[in-house]
Amino acid sequence: MVVDCATSGVLRAHTACFPPHRRITYPLPCIHGWPCCSWCFRLTAAAAQVGQQQRFSATSANSNSTDIPDFSEYRKDSTPDTSRAFAYMMVGTTGVLSAVAAKSTVHDFLSNMSASADVLALAKVEVDLSAIPEGKNVVVKWRGKPIFIRHRTAAEIAEANAVNISELRDPQLDSARAQQPEWLVMLGICTHLGCVPIGDAGDYGGWFCPCHGSHYDISGRIRKGPAPLNLEIPEHVIDGDKLVIG
Amino acid sequence: MSALNRFNSLAFNGLFRRNSVFLAGIFASAFVVEIAFDGVSDRIWRNINKGRTWDDIKDRYTA
Repeated sequence: MVVDCATSGVLRAHTACFPPHRRITYPLPCIHGWPCCSWCFRLTAAAAQVGQQQRFSATSANSNSTDIPDFSEYRKDSTPDTSRAFAYMMVGTTGVLSAVAAKSTVHDFLSNMSASADVLALAKVEVDLSAIPEGKNVVVKWRGKPIFIRHRTAAEIAEANAVNISELRDPQLDSARAQQPEWLVMLGICTHLGCVPIGDAGDYGGWFCPCHGSHYDISGRIRKGPAPLNLEIPEHVIDGDKLVIG
Repeated sequence: MSALNRFNSLAFNGLFRRNSVFLAGIFASAFVVEIAFDGVSDRIWRNINKGRTWDDIKDRYTA
């Protein structure tokens, strides 16, 4: 720290200078030597007389050089928020870009794992129902599994509805199984161990599984034998004469 | 106070001071940035491949 001895410190008589004037002492080194006097840098003759070096280039020789310079030219035009806002902006931008990158990475992996359009197109089966006469079964293949389509007669519908469902092993109304009562669409896989039941067979006029003797009624509900559940109903839509499974 | 300083203090006080707002802002802008980036890059790609995409030649093959 550089202090100006001309303006601060304790004033004392300075006997070394000529003519004697007041000497200034203070605890910090002054820019033009210690101890110093507020006049000696000007009284060169006197200074030389007492062996002090004349300081030609001492900045303090220039008037007011000890004033604090004007740094406003070099200062940032800023408030305390400026740098903070910039730093947080950089952090936030990094966060945004990382979030986008992470999301698209996950999205790429997931879309790679899901079924492609050609697979989805094969996943549906269309059946023309007008070709199936009343009282007949048709088996179609859907996703590698057999689908039973039964065009039921009015008597069969009445028989399916007449069953007291509280007696069933897997209680289910016929209306919950067939979207339209005359059309029953079922997955032809026995719920016991996965055999394909035989149509128009069994004790209940529906399907019979030859493997372990499960009997299904005309609504495909399990009535007798080891199978625990009714034949499964796949997702399907009946639109006029067109049946779409899947 | 210059316009930049006003913007800075507005950004700091409004967006960065609370972490919840900061984080919510990050996710919200990620959403917007992704849509904008995808849209712009798709448009550039379509522009480069103009006349060669399925949308351009579809008329020749479908009724």
